[in-house]
Amino acid sequence: MSPRVLGRAQGPVAYAILTALLLVVVFPFYWMFVSSLKSEEQMRTLTAMFWPSPAVLDNYRQLLGKTDFGAWYGNSIVVALSSTFVATAIGTLGAYALARLKFFGRAFMASATLITYLVPPSILFIPLYAQIRNLGLADSLTGLVAAYPSFTVPFVTWLLMGYFESIPEELEEAAMIDGATRFGAFRRIILPLATPGVLAAALFAFTQAWNEFLYALVFITNVKLRTLPVGLSTFITGDVYGWGFLMAGAVLTTLPVIAAYTYLQKYMVEGLTAGSVKG
Amino acid sequence: MATPAARLPASAALQRRGAGGGLARALGPDYRLGYLFVAPIVVLVLALVAYPFGYAIYLSLTRKYVGVPPVWVGFDNYVKLTWDGFFQRAVVNSFVFTFGSVAVKLALGMAMALVLTARIRFRSFWTGVLLIPWVAPTVVSALNFLWIYDYSLGVLNYLLVKVLRVLPQGVGWLSEPGTAMASVIAVNVWRGFPFFGISFLAGMKAIPAEMYEAAAVDGATALQRFRHVTLPALQNIIIIVVLLSTIWTFNDFTIIYILTKGGPGGATQVLPVLTYEIAFGAQRLGEAIAVALYMLPAMAVVIIVLARHMRRGRAR
Repeated sequence: MSPRVLGRAQGPVAYAILTALLLVVVFPFYWMFVSSLKSEEQMRTLTAMFWPSPAVLDNYRQLLGKTDFGAWYGNSIVVALSSTFVATAIGTLGAYALARLKFFGRAFMASATLITYLVPPSILFIPLYAQIRNLGLADSLTGLVAAYPSFTVPFVTWLLMGYFESIPEELEEAAMIDGATRFGAFRRIILPLATPGVLAAALFAFTQAWNEFLYALVFITNVKLRTLPVGLSTFITGDVYGWGFLMAGAVLTTLPVIAAYTYLQKYMVEGLTAGSVKG
Repeated sequence: MATPAARLPASAALQRRGAGGGLARALGPDYRLGYLFVAPIVVLVLALVAYPFGYAIYLSLTRKYVGVPPVWVGFDNYVKLTWDGFFQRAVVNSFVFTFGSVAVKLALGMAMALVLTARIRFRSFWTGVLLIPWVAPTVVSALNFLWIYDYSLGVLNYLLVKVLRVLPQGVGWLSEPGTAMASVIAVNVWRGFPFFGISFLAGMKAIPAEMYEAAAVDGATALQRFRHVTLPALQNIIIIVVLLSTIWTFNDFTIIYILTKGGPGGATQVLPVLTYEIAFGAQRLGEAIAVALYMLPAMAVVIIVLARHMRRGRAR
């Protein structure tokens, strides 16, 4: 039961505001989808503006057949999955230690992790690029996988610290009295309980890596090695034909995120609200 | 930390485990597992954030071109920037973009949260739908709006001119200095307000219903309940979300880079895009980093205040 601030009489007002917000949020996605199904002819003549007539898959066929879009898709999957794996593994262990274990320097490290999460990429991208190049990883997917933890790990760690802190400490203590080691208690008691949180954190890490633009734009010059966001942005041509094509790419780029999000919405909303901002 | 009596057996177990040596006494009972688990983060933060950050500060004090060793120039880059018209304009634009966006996101986010706590059907479904702009790739949204704003074929002009007939002719939303800034702000708002909404919603759900009932018994109107019950309870969340969004918006590169690249004629030029252009267009790395770091003292204050609030929010 959540408190109703608007009060009983404001039902119609609530529906009106909700409808307005939904229109603003949903229309651009609808427009993107419709545009991707329009023929070049229809685009140019501005006929039946708000639906495809007829709906054609030309844009998708062109996109997958005549461009490097397929390769970019593969690149994005590889980069996003690898950096998600790295971030989740490192972040889970670190968050547990920072939330629960007692050792010298813990509070300082917890603060440092949080501050790291808040340092913006627009400050780091040039020196990070220099460093990636020195390591011989410029213009490679490995370079991106190496760099992405700079934002995914602090975020996952911060999110999961909140999650671990919300699990009652008595559970581990009981296990340890029964003879489990600290590590055993973590692995067999705490980790299973934290699964929803870890899942949400992994999903956020995946989304962040999948959506990342600046590092991918700067680090990669080889056309074949681009990730989806950078690849898509190179389709901007400004002519009639380009738009349908571009929107087809936009639809396919958004799909995995929306699919994962729909499927795991409960965990994501929970993770976002329980972990990142808890007041 | 004081040990409550109920926890004594456990702390006895902890002490037994830590009784191994003086190291445990000096470094804490869990130091072995603790350092083992934290080590990857420490290495990562040092290598990917702390070192590049230090290197950035150093580079900003040099004259550095791509492929040529840096030459120490002290604060020259910063001094030059201070008197550079383009840079000054980018600073002003960055503030307009940030504060304009954050203010509207705050209002829309609050509206979203209030609506979603009202008595409506399919509430959790609508919550999910309203969150989509926040999870969709920023590049996709920016490209989508580039197409919506298009002068000759875009749907916005079509709606305003042909459907609603409120304008005699189309507007070059992104190509006219008068509308470009508002247009990029709108996209940032569209993408970012759901985060405000969902955070406020979580905060509102945590307010005990009795507080509203008590206020209602005392004869408080809806507006008074909002002012005297909701807002005070949300105070910490509002501070956190506004500061977080301020940092993110101030450093947003993608939306402006895709929509205008800082144009027309510098009307939407902001610091992150200017940094990129000086670094990879003009290849002047030292100066580029100085652009990025110029606002660091101000940003550091925001980050530290924010970190304090976020940690305090957790501790409660």
